[in-house]
Amino acid sequence: MSQAELRILLIEDEPHIRRFVRSTLEAQQWTVYEADCGQRGLVEAGSRQPDLLIVDLGLPDMDGVALIRDFRHWSQAPVLVLSARSDEADKIAALDAGADDYLTKPFGVGELLARVRALSRRHARQLEASPLLSFGEVSVDLARREVRRGGVEVALTPMEYKLLCALLRDAGKALTHRMLMQAVWGPGHTDDSHYLRIYMSRLRQKLEQDPAQPVHFITLSGVGYRFQF
Amino acid sequence: MKPNQAFAGRQVSVWRRYGLVVIACLLVTLLTAPFRDTLQLANAVMLFLLVVFLVALKLGRGPAVFAAFLSVALFDFFLVPPHFTFAVSDGVYLITFAVMLAVGLLTTGLTTSLQDETERVRRHERETREHYELARTLTGAASIEQVEAAVASYAAHQQCRVRCFWLTPERQLDTSHSELVESHLLQMAFSSQQPVRGDAEAGPPPLYLPLRAPMGMRGVLAIYPEHMDGQDFLQREPRFITLASLLAIAVERLHYVDVARQTEIAISAEKLRSSLLAALSHDLRTPLTSLLGMADALAARPLPEAEREAARLIRDQAGAVHKMMTNLLDMARLQAGKLPLRREWQLYEEVISTSLQLLRPTLAAHPLTLELAPDLPLVRFDAVLIERVLCNLLENAAKYAPAGSPIRIRAYTEGDAACLAVCDAGPGIDPAQLERLFALFERGDAESGKPGMGLGLGIAKAIAEAHGGSLTLSATPGAGTTACLRLPLGTPPSMVTEDEHEPG
Repeated sequence: MSQAELRILLIEDEPHIRRFVRSTLEAQQWTVYEADCGQRGLVEAGSRQPDLLIVDLGLPDMDGVALIRDFRHWSQAPVLVLSARSDEADKIAALDAGADDYLTKPFGVGELLARVRALSRRHARQLEASPLLSFGEVSVDLARREVRRGGVEVALTPMEYKLLCALLRDAGKALTHRMLMQAVWGPGHTDDSHYLRIYMSRLRQKLEQDPAQPVHFITLSGVGYRFQF
Repeated sequence: MKPNQAFAGRQVSVWRRYGLVVIACLLVTLLTAPFRDTLQLANAVMLFLLVVFLVALKLGRGPAVFAAFLSVALFDFFLVPPHFTFAVSDGVYLITFAVMLAVGLLTTGLTTSLQDETERVRRHERETREHYELARTLTGAASIEQVEAAVASYAAHQQCRVRCFWLTPERQLDTSHSELVESHLLQMAFSSQQPVRGDAEAGPPPLYLPLRAPMGMRGVLAIYPEHMDGQDFLQREPRFITLASLLAIAVERLHYVDVARQTEIAISAEKLRSSLLAALSHDLRTPLTSLLGMADALAARPLPEAEREAARLIRDQAGAVHKMMTNLLDMARLQAGKLPLRREWQLYEEVISTSLQLLRPTLAAHPLTLELAPDLPLVRFDAVLIERVLCNLLENAAKYAPAGSPIRIRAYTEGDAACLAVCDAGPGIDPAQLERLFALFERGDAESGKPGMGLGLGIAKAIAEAHGGSLTLSATPGAGTTACLRLPLGTPPSMVTEDEHEPG
């Protein structure tokens, strides 16, 4: 799947929002299929086999989270969620159900395109999977467990390295606190999210140009983190 | 227990009863005397004993004893030869007298104690019935007034007057309608949870009974005896204690009925409010999302510059309306006290970075300086709400400080507070105006004043206070404004350091 020929299914009940999202995506020469309710959305998803799914969480006929869970049973295509600002719990539920990222309403064209591109790139990267990764002035050699910044080796503690790997593995995807805690500290520690915050802060100190205004280790308030290249 | 209680009620005086005894005995004498020579004296004795028995049955113990003695005397005087004298010719008659007296007294004793017993059972039954009636009335009572009326009518049957003293909203005894001495006694009964006896100049003293219900004290019941002697009052004390416990349970039931009703009202009001807010927020956000998105899409098209500019303006204004709407809805939720806090231990630096990310376009015209104290501790807060606070403060700074002037963000600890301060180099607000800005929202009066600035600050302050912290503004006219958010430090959860565990 290359970005040039992306096929996107948009499930959204508001016709105006659907129209602007569609026109924005079509301006990129991408193919857009539409569905105005969850049931039709699932049918379309089955028949069209889209490369990417955009789902509004507030559908009239079914819970968007349930739709995502259903979709995940048979497809690994990235899912982008459209959600209202104040519903952090809904976003977390959607991410736990298998969504990859979310956009908070209202959103602009730029944000929408950036997320769609990031998700489709992420999907492509998963397919190639190389042990050598780099972002900013940092390069990571997963095979040799080596992290260098500007050519100089950076000493990471085992936990810091584990967290970095968890983030790199799912780069471009929104990860909830619980997911990261589980991946790094194990299932017994999912409530001790302060560990995660402290370690994230240390990673930023060691790997970000400006730790206070990070470009790679992004905080998603009330939800979790996202690593982006 | 008085044997003549049944008669006391019918107002048969003592004298009259003894008179009746005399008449009855004389009647028997008169009936038997003419036949004293033909009649066997034993039969006459029977008649006398019959009278004693009837007297015991009808007139009670005293008259019956009197009748027994009188019968023997009359029998001796009129019927036993020699007549009309107490002298006795035959010694056998002395035995007759003794037996007659003994049988009379025995009959009296048996009859009256049987009556006493019957009376006691009847009274007990009546008491039970009264308690049952009272309990039924109390159970059906729908208000305190009805409870009071039921208790008053019960007490009236007991020749008493009652007054109930209930609790104040602060769960203290309300004695505002009593005299000083009485109020002291009431308090005593209330705090000791024991019956307290008052003092009275005349008659038996009033009784103060604590109203102790299963879930706690409900008040004190004062009982003032009327037309009753002290002995009698003392005997009735157990029923008053029963009365007090029935009353306490009834009042507690009413209290919880009331609590349940209030809760129900609060819940339905809350449901209405939150569904209204949710609907409003959805219905406003949906058109705003399309408006903002379409304007943004339009601005990206190859259009003449003037039209592109108009599209950008529409987009920015839609964004501003959305921000205002979010603030208004948050304010409504905050004022209802229903904004749930998802507090977690976290670092200020994350909130700073997310806020700066959100406000990048707004803050583009201002150079930013960040001063984060080293080793800032974890603070417990709701990241989304504190981000809102910081965004509001930063937006204010950007709005009121001239373009190009620096904005400084500082995070540090001071005493037992974690502080987050935004300092601008703007003109500085007049201190008097500052006070007004905050006061506006404490009164919930959002209709006057400078809308844009005040609302954001009001929300920031409300969020800070919901966290147990504070938001202060200080300004030096001409030298800028500093807004400082202070959150309590608390004790962060402990962390097992990695080095102890698994050396790196």
